[in-house]
Amino acid sequence: MAHLRLIARRLMQLTGVLLGISIVTFLLLHMAPGDPARLLAGERASAETIAAIRMQYGLDLPLWRQFITYLANLLAGDIGQSLRFQRPVSELIQQFMWPTLFLTVYVVCLAVPPTVALSILSARNPGGTADQIVRLVGIAGLTIPVFWLGIMMSRFFGVSLGWFPVSGYGVGFTGHLHHLFLPALSTAIWLVPVLTQSLRAALIEKAMADFVTAARAQGASEREIFWRTILPNSVLPTLNLLGVMVAFMIGGAVIVETVYAVPGLGTLMIGALLGRDYYVVQGLTLVFAMSTVLVTLAVDLLAAFIDPRVRA
Amino acid sequence: MNRTETVTRPLLEVEDLTVGFGGFEAVRGVSFYVQPGEILGIVGESGSGKSVTCRAVMGLLPGTARAGGGVRLEGRDLLTLGDADWCALRGRDIGMIFQNPASHLDPLRRIGRQIAAPIVRHLGIGRREAMRRAIRLLDDVGIRDPERSARSYPHEFSGGMKQRAMIAAAIGCGPKLLIADEPTTALDVTVQARILRLLKDLNRERGLAIILISHDLGVVADICSRVVVMRNGEVVEQGPIDDVINRPRHPYTRLLVDSQPSRRGYPGVKAEPLPAAPLLSVEGLSVSFPVRRSLVSDRAGKAGPFLALDGIDLQIAAGETVGIVGESGSGKSTLARTIIRQNRPSGGTIRLDGREVHGLTGDALMAFRRRVQMVFQNPYDSLNPRMTIAEAVAEPIWRHGLADRRTAQVRADELLEMVELPRSLRNRKPRQLSGGQCQRVGLARALALEPQVLIADEITSALDVTTQAQILELLLRLQRERALTLLYISHDLSVVSSICQRVYVFKAGRIVEDGPARQVLSIPRHSYTQELVASLAQLGPKNAASALTPVFNNAAR
Repeated sequence: MAHLRLIARRLMQLTGVLLGISIVTFLLLHMAPGDPARLLAGERASAETIAAIRMQYGLDLPLWRQFITYLANLLAGDIGQSLRFQRPVSELIQQFMWPTLFLTVYVVCLAVPPTVALSILSARNPGGTADQIVRLVGIAGLTIPVFWLGIMMSRFFGVSLGWFPVSGYGVGFTGHLHHLFLPALSTAIWLVPVLTQSLRAALIEKAMADFVTAARAQGASEREIFWRTILPNSVLPTLNLLGVMVAFMIGGAVIVETVYAVPGLGTLMIGALLGRDYYVVQGLTLVFAMSTVLVTLAVDLLAAFIDPRVRA
Repeated sequence: MNRTETVTRPLLEVEDLTVGFGGFEAVRGVSFYVQPGEILGIVGESGSGKSVTCRAVMGLLPGTARAGGGVRLEGRDLLTLGDADWCALRGRDIGMIFQNPASHLDPLRRIGRQIAAPIVRHLGIGRREAMRRAIRLLDDVGIRDPERSARSYPHEFSGGMKQRAMIAAAIGCGPKLLIADEPTTALDVTVQARILRLLKDLNRERGLAIILISHDLGVVADICSRVVVMRNGEVVEQGPIDDVINRPRHPYTRLLVDSQPSRRGYPGVKAEPLPAAPLLSVEGLSVSFPVRRSLVSDRAGKAGPFLALDGIDLQIAAGETVGIVGESGSGKSTLARTIIRQNRPSGGTIRLDGREVHGLTGDALMAFRRRVQMVFQNPYDSLNPRMTIAEAVAEPIWRHGLADRRTAQVRADELLEMVELPRSLRNRKPRQLSGGQCQRVGLARALALEPQVLIADEITSALDVTTQAQILELLLRLQRERALTLLYISHDLSVVSSICQRVYVFKAGRIVEDGPARQVLSIPRHSYTQELVASLAQLGPKNAASALTPVFNNAAR
């Protein structure tokens, strides 16, 4: 019951955020340099042609009327037409979305188990040998640039050893798994140290908590205390961090997708930006903002599921 | 001994226990015993080693500690137990409850499951049956609607209920001994009295032996049959409670007994002189805080601002000492904060010398700030950790332009001397001082502007009893010497009644009773005041032998 109430409350708060997002994405386009009508009409178009195009696209209307139209279209699921591909933006995004989502989920699946294992290893004896090694390797993983690591791995595993394809998305579920392994791995190598830092700190802090002493005083074994008390109490900060990272990956997979030529949203974004494909950029911005909001919502709900105090 | 010597061996024997951390010995040569079914009190100040002793008995010392000597439970040596044996014994044979119940309950698990966990673990009972027992235990420890409470989470419980739940979890497996480490220190007085009664009932009904650790001799005297007095890691005295309190042999025990507010008569508490015009007057004061709104619960229509103070009227005459008593959440601190303009009133007025306090601006406001000063509850948090104490005391003087920085330093030294702090401490930072010393700095800083009115908000509640007695003595001396008007806020009725001329009793933002201190304490009219008075854990009437003895010469410890 408390969960349902929370979900309802959060969804209601969401409407305001979504309205804000739509305003910002709308204004973004209008503040960008360049005139879309001129772009459509071509370099040598006459003033009359440009005016006609302006009228056709509603660009001559006052700003607030344009916004209303934009909002109404948005609600109908119409976020415009790609100037370059001459296809609806929503269709384009749908097409390019799946590789990115697959990659994101893949990264999370690759990153979470080692994060938990390394944090436990580290936190068991803070300052010990294992902790030092984990920290050093972590710093190395953080400092190696993703693009360099990507290129190196695709050369080594892809070209020299021939274990994994170096580009593309593949066909079918196993094909996706196979093709996206290297991109997912190179992102995970950078993500694991970030998450490990956070989880390690929380584990060390919670191991000193009073309720751990109390559990010990009630005869719980160290093993039980760790899995039932310390770990559940420590995951929340890391979960929130993971949420931020996932949102970031959906919008920021540009480098990895470019290096491995994955037909994802990052690739689409680069193409649209270079080709001045305004409505695609606008649509993508909207999608990135929405996905951030949705991921945050999911993380909040998950946090509420773990921690009853968040529900209240 | 007033109990008949029994041939049965003691339940717990502690013999020559020594606990060391690195080179420092926190506990040295401590010996005592607990008979089956008795309540033993261990009293001492913070740092006296009482908690460390009990953690050694529970095997809960941190890995860096070394324990030597002998701890035997029914003849079985505990200090040589392995991890698995400890796990089998803790929670089964010895239960433990702690000072702060809020932080000792796992915030993520339902109360019922936390109570059932030790039962499942130790008695090999199924979850369902264990949950039934947990509900019965909740009922036993006096929690209403136990079935619903078992499904609650710790944050939905009040402090007293949390401690009851802790007790339920500790006694679930029917232990022989319960160690209660300052179980009521974090609770309000009325709640404290109820928890102590619960412990006493459990002791009587189940024959549960209890070790009650406390810094408060009054609490120990209330329910214990014997008492062990500790200081600096050693036992200075032990024996039946009556002997220790009425015929203390060790000077420290005597100091402890005499430091009890109920045992002290403070000089200078006269009958009320009440001149015509009050210095500080509060009329119909209300303060409200907005309740955190949420879209959904607003629809239910129950939300609205929370009234922290609701129509408060009070007057304080120049030179008077007025006490304000009440539980946490009763609005006492809000009143203090509103008087010094930290909160805005939503209704009513506060006047100092007839001038509306919240209408002041500019120079008049600065003058007001000089006239009214405040000392805070937590001595460490209210001092800037990066300033030396001499700087902290000098700051208000030059900031108000009363002197240049150098003269302010000289004044600060004088003030530190006045609050009996040795000169050698003047360049220390707050965290290098004890709590009592820090509170002296707080007093000196408040007095630096030579205020007319001093507001003391729970200034001794974070301190040990002996330190509390010293601070109160100092406060009253300063009040006499400087003709201060004192507003003393406390949850401790005995302190207030011993130093104040008049008291106001606060409950839920209203004044439920006021009048001369002696009268309110001896013949309380309102039911809440009666409950407050009844819940005072004190040593009882002073007997002729222990009149005021001048043991207060080591004041600045």
